[in-house]
Amino acid sequence: MTRRKITQRLAMHLLLVPFLVFALFPFYHMTLTSLKQNKELYDRTAVPLLIRQGPTLEHYTKLLWDTAFLTWTKNSLLVTVLSTFVSLVIGTVAAYALARLKFFGVASLGTGIFVTYLVPTSLLFLPLAQVVNWLGLGDSKWALVVTYPTFLVPFCTWLLMGYFRTVPKEVEECAMVDGATRIQALWRIVLPITVPGLVCAALFAFTLSWNEFIYALTFTSSSEQITASVGVTSELVRGDIYYWGSLMAGAVLSSVPIVVLYVFFLDYYVSGLTAGAIK
Amino acid sequence: MSGITRRHFLTTTAGTGLAGILATGVPPVLGQQREVSYLCWNNFAPLMDKKLAEIGQRFTKDTGIKLKIDHIAAAQQAAKYASEVQSQAGHDLVEMRMHFPWLYDSQLIDLGDLVADLEKKYGKVLSSAGETARVRGTWRAVPQYHAMFVATYREDLFKKASLKIPDTWEDLYTAGKELKKMGHPVGIPISQNYDSISTAGPVLWSSGGQEVDKDGKTVRINSPQTAQMIEWYKKMFRDCMEPEVLSWDDASNNQAIQQGKAGWIHNPVSAYIVAKQMKLPTADTINHHRTPGGPAGRHETDVPRHIGIWKFSKNAEPAKEFIRYLLGKRETYDEFIMSADAFNLPVYEKLQDHPVLKTDAKYAGLKAEGVQYHCYGWPAPPSDKVQLITNSFIMPNMIAKAVTGTSTKDAMVWAENEMKKIMAG
Amino acid sequence: MAIGGIRVAAPASRPSLRAKVGELLDREQWLGSIFVSPALVLLLLLVAYPFCMALYFSVSNAFIGRPSHFIGVRNFINLWESDAFRQTFQNAFVFCGAAVGAKLVLGVSLALLLNQQLWFKRLIRGAVLLPWVIPTALSTLGWTWMFNSLYSVVNWTGLALGIMDPPGPNWLGQKYYAMAAVIIVNIWRGLPFFAITILAGLVAIPKELYEAAEADGAGPFSRFWYVTLPLLKGVLAIVVLFSTIFTFSEFNIVFVLTHGGPINSTHLFATLARQVGLETGRIGEGAAISLYLFPVLMLVVWAQLRFVRKQAY
Repeated sequence: MTRRKITQRLAMHLLLVPFLVFALFPFYHMTLTSLKQNKELYDRTAVPLLIRQGPTLEHYTKLLWDTAFLTWTKNSLLVTVLSTFVSLVIGTVAAYALARLKFFGVASLGTGIFVTYLVPTSLLFLPLAQVVNWLGLGDSKWALVVTYPTFLVPFCTWLLMGYFRTVPKEVEECAMVDGATRIQALWRIVLPITVPGLVCAALFAFTLSWNEFIYALTFTSSSEQITASVGVTSELVRGDIYYWGSLMAGAVLSSVPIVVLYVFFLDYYVSGLTAGAIK
Repeated sequence: MSGITRRHFLTTTAGTGLAGILATGVPPVLGQQREVSYLCWNNFAPLMDKKLAEIGQRFTKDTGIKLKIDHIAAAQQAAKYASEVQSQAGHDLVEMRMHFPWLYDSQLIDLGDLVADLEKKYGKVLSSAGETARVRGTWRAVPQYHAMFVATYREDLFKKASLKIPDTWEDLYTAGKELKKMGHPVGIPISQNYDSISTAGPVLWSSGGQEVDKDGKTVRINSPQTAQMIEWYKKMFRDCMEPEVLSWDDASNNQAIQQGKAGWIHNPVSAYIVAKQMKLPTADTINHHRTPGGPAGRHETDVPRHIGIWKFSKNAEPAKEFIRYLLGKRETYDEFIMSADAFNLPVYEKLQDHPVLKTDAKYAGLKAEGVQYHCYGWPAPPSDKVQLITNSFIMPNMIAKAVTGTSTKDAMVWAENEMKKIMAG
Repeated sequence: MAIGGIRVAAPASRPSLRAKVGELLDREQWLGSIFVSPALVLLLLLVAYPFCMALYFSVSNAFIGRPSHFIGVRNFINLWESDAFRQTFQNAFVFCGAAVGAKLVLGVSLALLLNQQLWFKRLIRGAVLLPWVIPTALSTLGWTWMFNSLYSVVNWTGLALGIMDPPGPNWLGQKYYAMAAVIIVNIWRGLPFFAITILAGLVAIPKELYEAAEADGAGPFSRFWYVTLPLLKGVLAIVVLFSTIFTFSEFNIVFVLTHGGPINSTHLFATLARQVGLETGRIGEGAAISLYLFPVLMLVVWAQLRFVRKQAY
């Protein structure tokens, strides 16, 4: 490469640095804070960018043993896995029908589902709280399993519709000529081809579900029912006493499952993000 | 907690068990497994929650009644209680803080008999507890303890400058001027948070002013007494404090004194307790003194907490037994209070000079003789509208306007209009 | 089958129930309807119905635990007399406008950078996308600590670099700073969505167009303005429309960072609705507040359907 090209490349990378710092610094700081000792944390003369007086795991141990953090994480996992599964099933069949089958109202249904995705949860949470109470699910994580699919299903349906459209019709028609029913064709032929789409939808459903806050905050309140996000943001502050070390430790730990998924499935996240917007 | 069958119960050393039954006068129903559930807040003194669980287990052992305690963050209580009321199902016992008995009075049972017993043993309840737990003549909840605001100051600085410990709010101004000169200003927030209201209240009450009259309808904020309070705040802001108090939140004054910056704040003991726990260098220098007074007496803000029983509960009798067990016996009550390290103190007259205050020399100032406690909005009864006035932070906003340039008169008129709007619905 | 050369038809058995159902399921009409019905039922019960309930609540005086009565549009009118609501209304547009605008500009810039030949492309892309993936409530907690009045690392850095006067602003306690803080966190969280999606749009632009433009003597800026931008219009429209509705209805960031304060200067419709509807129990007013999201929602839906979704389903 010519000298000029190398300098140009370097310049591009340098321009990226502010963006990268902006994106990553908060995580660095959160993790650092969770490992700092209290006396350094609350020392105004200390340097907040480094740990100078030795790291400590006390915030993590306090979080795990002195609070109901493990219960909250268990709740989050239960709610997320169940609603992801339910949404995936409902979304897959709906997407298949909308992408492939001709029946009465298919066009308007497709639009309807798309529109539902746009209805913000912050508009519905108040009346949904009443519905949840009537169903007897007030202050229960099951309320979340029931309500999360309302925003997961439209997204999954819409994402999967795009994937189903890329499967050539001939493949199914071949199978059906050979005697398979539509359902068998779907299960045996189409789905295996669209596994990337399913993985993508599952990942997004998992992430959106784990990330969800307003429904969790509204439909669950006692310490045993709340999810990780709600627990960390509301139970680690007692009156005017903020347990910052444990707060950061909680934030870091609760993000771990998502980070793990993200590291392994980065490409799926990217394709899902763009597919959702472009396809 | 494992259930205890009646057979097992009878064959265990009957000492405490039978005594427990005889004391409460309620015999266990033949063959019935009784259970109670209690929705309790996340105590700001976490050890008190542990003690509660412990006492709960002893209760089950002594009476055979199963007890399930659920916890909830203070900020979540409103939504949770609303949902229990809506679905008419949930827990039996509920923690009711401050004015909540008024908010839910039609949903709570009458607990007058329990309160009468406790008052006989421990003396009358403090003013704030009575004003909030007794709704239009009926006791809707049983007062258990309260956390109050108290003057917290830097003893070493006062000694260094030979300052007199403030006995009135005027005294505070005199001392405050010196403190600011020493670089350790007074820290009273004037912003949209509850700490601001918790200081503005006592200052207003001790000069004889009120937001809403005790008839619960007439707005009385526009008065010479209020003007007195505003003038005091103006000179405090100018000579004893720094402008940053306009943007403080509930934790800011704690931090200010823990960091060694503030010389005097008005806060519950949390500031000192945290400093002690974190072994901060300022912990030794912090002390408390009795709330300052004014021409109309010595008044202080507090947060009383009570226990109520929902009307829809099917276990009212066993629930009452638990309240009697927790609060009725002096030793248990004392044990309960001691676990809170002076954060939550007894709310009955005869127990004011409690042993817990002797566990640390710095708690002497919490004894607070002659101090009258009230909740936000006193003397108006805590109706919805009065609560809305509090939650809209009208008083701190009025003071903020006054100290940043609005004339006292205009500020008062503004506040009066805002409050009238709310009272009109 | 053939028996002895004579074709004998297999005995016609009466179709079993199983076969009948199977045959039914093969007909597109039925299968389609059955496949879509779970989604339809779910969305009708838990989206359409609550939406209608919200409409009902907003025209009633619903209060928690008490029976409600129809009162017409009084809630909507009374809201305008509330300082908090008027402030919220202003906040929503300021917040949305500033945040979406900044995300657009920064998003395009970042996408252009990412489109270059880069080392560690995957790593960089992963790093850039991270803020969007991590649960918002938790990452906002991190920002709350970063903006803490006493220990703010932002202030510390500002002071160290000499661009701030001690002691540095109280981000979460002062009116305009709090709004700035909320906008910054929203940009931080939403930028990856813009960047990655616009990047996909950039990648789709054929290189030949650029080469042709360069041959015609166009400089980098002209190439951007006359080639890139027009071809990105579609993607930009989609991204902006999505972002508008999600930013306008933002809840998590405001709730965790400032709770709507100081003095309502960062309240958005969602957070105010929760405060009024749940914390003080006035469900009717709360529903009316959240319905102010509806016009913008309608606008976005209409724009999406009209300009973007040109292809029919």
